[in-house]
Amino acid sequence: MKKKLGVYICACGGNISDYVDIERVREAVKDEDCIIMAKTTMFACGDSNQKDMEADIKENNLSGIVVASCSPKLHLTTFRGVSERAGLNKYNYVHANIREQASWAHSDNKPGATEKAIHLVRAAIAKARLAESLEPIVIESKRAVAVIGAGVAGLKAAISLARMNDDVYLIEREGTIGGKLNVLETISPENISGKELLGRLQREVASEERITLITNAEVVASRGNIGDFKLTVRISGPQGNTEKEIHAGSVLVATGFNSYAPAEGEFGFATVPNVITLPEFRKLMSGQKKAAEGGSGKLLYNGREINSIAYIYCVGSRQVKGDNKYCSRYCCTAAVQASLDVRAIAPEIENFHFHKGIRTYGKQELIYKESNAQGDVYIQFMDKKPPVVSASEGGISVKAQDVLTEKRESEVIADLVVLVTGMVPDSDTSIGNLFKLPRGRDNFYNEIHMKLRPVETVIDGITIAGTCQGPKNVMESVNSSLSAAAKSHSFVSKGELELEPIIAYVNADTCNWCDACSNACPYNAVAMVETAGGQKASINKSTCKGCGMCLPVCPSDSIELISFTNRDVEDMIDVLAL
Amino acid sequence: MQKEPTTLSYDAIVIGGGIAGGEAALNLANNGYKVVLVESRLSVGGKMIMLSKVFPTLDCSACITTPKVSEISRHPNIKIFTESDITSIDKLSEHSFVVKMTQRPRYVVAEDCTACQLCEQACPVIVKDQFQYGLVGRKAVYIPFSIASPKVAAIDIDNCTLCGACEKVCPPGCIDFTMKPKEYIFNVKTAIVATGFRLYDPTNVPRYSYGTAKNVITSIQMERLLAPTRPFHTILRSSDGKVPDKIAYVLCAGSRDDSLGNPICSQICCMYSIKQAQLLLGALPMADITIYYIDIRAFGKGYDEFYEQAASMGVRFVKGKIGKITEKENGNLTLRYEDIATGKLKEAEHDMVVLSVGVKPNKEAAGIFKSHKLELDGLSFVKQSDPLLSPAKTSIEGVFVAGAATGPKDIPDSILSAGAASTEAISYLNQKSQ
Repeated sequence: MKKKLGVYICACGGNISDYVDIERVREAVKDEDCIIMAKTTMFACGDSNQKDMEADIKENNLSGIVVASCSPKLHLTTFRGVSERAGLNKYNYVHANIREQASWAHSDNKPGATEKAIHLVRAAIAKARLAESLEPIVIESKRAVAVIGAGVAGLKAAISLARMNDDVYLIEREGTIGGKLNVLETISPENISGKELLGRLQREVASEERITLITNAEVVASRGNIGDFKLTVRISGPQGNTEKEIHAGSVLVATGFNSYAPAEGEFGFATVPNVITLPEFRKLMSGQKKAAEGGSGKLLYNGREINSIAYIYCVGSRQVKGDNKYCSRYCCTAAVQASLDVRAIAPEIENFHFHKGIRTYGKQELIYKESNAQGDVYIQFMDKKPPVVSASEGGISVKAQDVLTEKRESEVIADLVVLVTGMVPDSDTSIGNLFKLPRGRDNFYNEIHMKLRPVETVIDGITIAGTCQGPKNVMESVNSSLSAAAKSHSFVSKGELELEPIIAYVNADTCNWCDACSNACPYNAVAMVETAGGQKASINKSTCKGCGMCLPVCPSDSIELISFTNRDVEDMIDVLAL
Repeated sequence: MQKEPTTLSYDAIVIGGGIAGGEAALNLANNGYKVVLVESRLSVGGKMIMLSKVFPTLDCSACITTPKVSEISRHPNIKIFTESDITSIDKLSEHSFVVKMTQRPRYVVAEDCTACQLCEQACPVIVKDQFQYGLVGRKAVYIPFSIASPKVAAIDIDNCTLCGACEKVCPPGCIDFTMKPKEYIFNVKTAIVATGFRLYDPTNVPRYSYGTAKNVITSIQMERLLAPTRPFHTILRSSDGKVPDKIAYVLCAGSRDDSLGNPICSQICCMYSIKQAQLLLGALPMADITIYYIDIRAFGKGYDEFYEQAASMGVRFVKGKIGKITEKENGNLTLRYEDIATGKLKEAEHDMVVLSVGVKPNKEAAGIFKSHKLELDGLSFVKQSDPLLSPAKTSIEGVFVAGAATGPKDIPDSILSAGAASTEAISYLNQKSQ
C-alpha cells in the first residue's frame, strides 16, 4: 500500500528560519511522491505543535512523518512520542537535521543552506517511504547496581540506592572507605570535619542490608550491557587474590579525583623549604586544637613557629602554559576556609593570598567576606605573570605584581607557602578504559548533555557521579551522586528494559563465516554459530548497538542494519545526489 | 463558588514548575509515582524557558526546555495545575500531608482553547507584557508566550474592560467571564519545594538609573532581545529603535553588596553576561562589548574556557566598580567607574547598559507550611538541614527542596539538585512500604 506521509519543517524560532527559507523548503517537497501534507512550524517541539501533529496523523491517517528540525540527538524521543500517541508506530517517523547540518553550518550562505535543507528533507522522505513498523527488544534488568568507588559520592549513592530497594555492590580499591573525606578538615558550609561525616556514612552503610561492600577490590573485566552487566572483581587479601563475579543492571562510576601534584620547582615546590600543597597544609592542621579551645595558639612546621603564610592560588588550574585550562572550582573556597581555620588555631598568623580573582561563588562569598574582615591580605596577580617564589633571608619570598595597586610589585616574606592545588582526573584510568567512557577536554569523564542528561554516559546503563565528572565540592558531589542514583535506579527498578530494535542482522543463506564482522564489532556482539549449513555469524540482540561497523567489512554483503538497509541508504543517496 | 473543594490524592506534590520542579516531577513519575505539580504562573517552564541560549554549550534554551516541558505536561503520572496558589500545607504524620490549593480563573476554558489568537487581535486593551519583561505590549486577553505550556489564552481581569470583543470572535466560544476560583485539597505523602528565585530589582539602586534612563535594561530583558522568540527581530534600543553598538555590562548589580542587602555572590551573572556578550557579537559583529566586573567567577565545567573564548572574541573585560550611570540627551549613558587596574576614576560612554542583576530568594514557600515550620537560612533561602550529606533535606521530614530555592544555582546545578531531591523523596516514600 502506498504510504501517506506528512512533513513538518521547523523554524526553530529563527535558529533555522534566519538562514533557511523554510517556506521554500516546504514548496519544494510538498508534491513529492507519497506526501499528502507539508507544513512549517515555529517550534516543532512545542507543546501545541505536538498536539497539531497528533491530530494531523489521526485525521489524515498518515502512515509516516518526516520532521525537519534540529539534531535528532535532541528530539528523536520527542517525535517518537508524538507518533506513538497518535497511534503510529514510532519507527515510521524519520528525522532530517536542517539546523546543525544546514542553517548553523552554512549561516554565511543562505541560498546554499536552503538548497541543502531541501536535499536533506527529500532524503528523509525517501527513507520514510521505506520505513517499517518495529517493536522494541525487551530484556530483563537485574535489580542491582554496582557502585565503583567508596568516597563521599559512591557512599551516598550506595545508601540511596539501597533505600530505593536496589541491591548494591560497593566496590573500593583501597582497604578503607571514605576516599578524600579521610583527609578533609573543615568542610564548608558546615563546620564539620571529613572524619565526622565519614563516621555518619559508615554507620549508614553498615545498617543497609542491601549493600555488599567489597574493599581492596578492582574491577578487571566487564561483559554484557545495560540491564545485565557482569563484572569480574579481583580482591586482594592476605592469602592472595580472589575473583568474584558481580551481576548488576547498572554501573555507577564514582572514582573521584587526584589532587594536582606540582612539578619540582613549580612555585618552589620541593626546591624551596616550607613550600607545601593545600592537602599537606590541611593535614598539618588536622588534630590541632583551636586557640579558643585551649590550644597553644601556635602552629609549628618542622619545629619552627609559623607567623605568616602565603597562599598561591590556581596551582595546576587555569594554567596559561600547562594543559589544565579549567578552573578547579572548589579550591578558592577551600583555601579561604583553610586560612580561617589556621587563624582559629594560631590567631596571630598573617595570611597573604596570591590569587587570580577569588571565586567564592554563591553563599561561599560569606567566607571570603569573613576573611577580609579578619584582615587577610589579597594580592591579585596577572595570568601571564605568576608569583615568583624563592628562598630568602628570614623566610620565603613571594613576589607578584598586584593588579589592585596599579601592578606595583609586592613582596611578602612568609614562613610557609601553601600551593592551592586543583583537582585533576584520577590517575587510575582502568575503569574508564574498561567501559570505554569518553572524556572531555579537561580529561574528566563526560556526561551526555550537561543539562538534559548530566549523569549519564554514552554507554547505556553507566552513570557518573562526583568528581570523576569534573571538580566539585562535597555538597555538589553529593547532589550529583544522588542524581546518578536516581538514574541508575530507573534503569533497574522496573525489572525490564526496552532496547532499540535498530540492530544488525545476518542473512544466513549467504554468510560464510569469515570473522571480519566480529573483528569490526566494538561491542563483542557477533559470535560464530554452527548450523546445518555450516559456520555462520550470529548477532546478540541485546548487545548490538546498531552502529553499522560490521556492514561494510562483510565480503558477501550478508549483514544489513534494520531500517538502514542498503535499499534505504541507496534511495537517500539517489535523492541527495540529484 | 464551588460548594466543596475537590479532593485528590497523589504520592508527591512538587511546588514550582520551573526546570528544577519539572525535573524532580519527571524523576518521580518515571519511577511510577503519581505527582501533582503546582505552578503559580500561567505556564510551566520557569525562567529557563524564557532564556536565549545557555552557557557554556550555547544550546538554544527553548530547544532544551520544551522537550522537558512537553514530557511533564503529557506524562500519565503527572497532573499540572497552573495559575494556582497553595494556601496551606499541613503535615498530619509521616507520609501524610494535606495541601490546600486555589486555582485562579483564566476566564478561558482551557480544554477548548485552540490558541488561535483571534481574541488577542480583537482585544482593544494594551498593557506591558510581563513575559517579555516589559519590552513590548500585550493585550488584556493573551497567550502568555509562544512556547507556553499550556498554550492557552488567559484574561488579565485587572486590565480587562469587559467589552466582550474577545467573546464575540472566539471560534470555540471558550471565553467565560463567570469563572470562579477553584479550591482543591490534595492528600500527598511527600513534597518537593522548587520555588526558584527572584531577580534583584535594580530600581532599589537609584544610581544605576534603571527605570529612569531609557537604555538601561536588565540582563533578563537582554535575554528576551536575544531569544529565538524575541519581541523584535534584532537587538535594538526599545526607546528609539537604534541598534546599539557600544554595550556595557554591569556585573554584581545587586550582589556582593551589603549596602544593598545582598552580601552573597549570585553565582550565575558572570557566566550569563559572558554568554550574552558572545551572542551579541554574533548578532552585531561590529559592536563593542565591555563587561565591568569585580571578579569573574567562571567556575563550572567548561566555564573558564568559555570566558577565555569571550575574551579572545574581543569582549573587553574591565575590572571596575560602577559608581553612577547618567543619561545623556541622545539616550546614551555615561558610566562613572573606578578602574581597578589604574586605581583611577574614569568615565565611559555607552549606548546601552545591561545590569547583570542577581538572585534573591522567593520567600513565599515558607509561609505555606502551617503545621511545621519550613526554616529559612540567614538570607531567606530555604534552609538545608543537612547540606553536606543530604542537600535536599529541609527542616521538615518528608519535605525536600530542589533548585535555586536554597540559593543561587546555574541550570546544571539546579538539575542535579532536582535529581537529589527526587532520590530523597523516593527513599522517603519507600520507608512507608517497609
